[in-house]
Amino acid sequence: MATEAYAARNPAEVHTDVLSNARQACYKARDAFYACVEKESDKKQTEIASKGLLYPAECKASREEFVKHCRTSWVKHFDALYCKNKSLKRLLDDKDSRKGV
Amino acid sequence: MASIISRTVNHLRHVNRSVIRSGLRIPRPPLADCLQNRHLPLLGQSLTIYQRCLFSTTPNTTTQNQRNPEPKTTENENSGNSGESGESGEGSKSGESSESSNAGKSIRGGPVSWLSFLLLVATGAGIILYYDKEKRQHIEEIFKASKEVKQGPSVGKAAIGGPFNLINHDGKRVTEKDFLGKWTLMYFGFTHCPDICPDELVKLAAAVDKLQKDAGIEIVPLFISVDPERDTVEQVREYVKEFHPKLIGLTGKPDEIRSVARAYRVYYMKTTEEDSDYLVDHSIVMYLMSPEMEFVKFFGKNNDVDSLAEGITKEIKQHKK
Repeated sequence: MATEAYAARNPAEVHTDVLSNARQACYKARDAFYACVEKESDKKQTEIASKGLLYPAECKASREEFVKHCRTSWVKHFDALYCKNKSLKRLLDDKDSRKGV
Repeated sequence: MASIISRTVNHLRHVNRSVIRSGLRIPRPPLADCLQNRHLPLLGQSLTIYQRCLFSTTPNTTTQNQRNPEPKTTENENSGNSGESGESGEGSKSGESSESSNAGKSIRGGPVSWLSFLLLVATGAGIILYYDKEKRQHIEEIFKASKEVKQGPSVGKAAIGGPFNLINHDGKRVTEKDFLGKWTLMYFGFTHCPDICPDELVKLAAAVDKLQKDAGIEIVPLFISVDPERDTVEQVREYVKEFHPKLIGLTGKPDEIRSVARAYRVYYMKTTEEDSDYLVDHSIVMYLMSPEMEFVKFFGKNNDVDSLAEGITKEIKQHKK
């Protein structure tokens, strides 16, 4: 009895963009984008991603792929994670030459 | 006060002199003899130094003072007490007289004597040693007790777990009673999780397969959603079937989820960025529940498949004992 009421409340649409295939596509696009950012890290970072991440104009294409294949909240999540890892790495690698982040 | 002491000292000195003059020979007291025999050379040396400090002007007394220190030092101390007013002359006299009184009767000294000092030091050392030993024993006991607890299974049970009433991915109502009789490994997450939940569920599925293959242990994997508003039954069904055929997914009404999360001490919170798309921050944990649906062990994010399988095998073996 409760199940019918429950099903009626929510439209029976399954968010397929969180299922396995979509996830794999998202991860691939994500990895491609971050690899691009790493590769072009010496270029001037002109574009704004999200959560304070900047990236050079060379990676615009991969950024668009990334945003297309992944949900917005996931894009933000991955950007925040990337920034965190980068600052952590910077902190651990040259702790003498830099003060602060 | 000082005058009284000096008077007594002088009186005693007169008594000594008169006794010696009368030629009365009183045998040396046995105590002094014993002390003499037992005296360590170190003590004698320290006494010498003490005498030297006390009577800087009298070279005579030092050599002779070594022979019978006990009764002599009492008198010397007496004279020392009263020596503030520059009675070094009297001190030397007392040294002489006490030296000659070696053959005479023993002089009853003041309250503080070398013997009493020795006794005090001995008692103090004894007390300190005894106390130290006792304390060390006590600390060892505590350390051993705590070590024992760490090695064996934990005493008492953590208050994790409890009844729940949810809907499984087939749309059927289930409670915790439906999971009795088999070991269960529960994971709390949500289907819209970007990376962590998929990774953990992959690990969970791999561990279940590994246990089945290596140890023949059957475990029921369980996934409980902490995002009831988006995770419908169909959503959960599509999600769990990709990981493992035996994986059961549970969802329910928000308050049902809230009660099960509270019972299992799982934190979860919606990160409200935009209302349409959000993530749920939650504790990343797997709970191993016994066939009686009682909490046995939890596994955090840091465990890989092998350590998961090992941990579960160990707990099951221990539980069977």
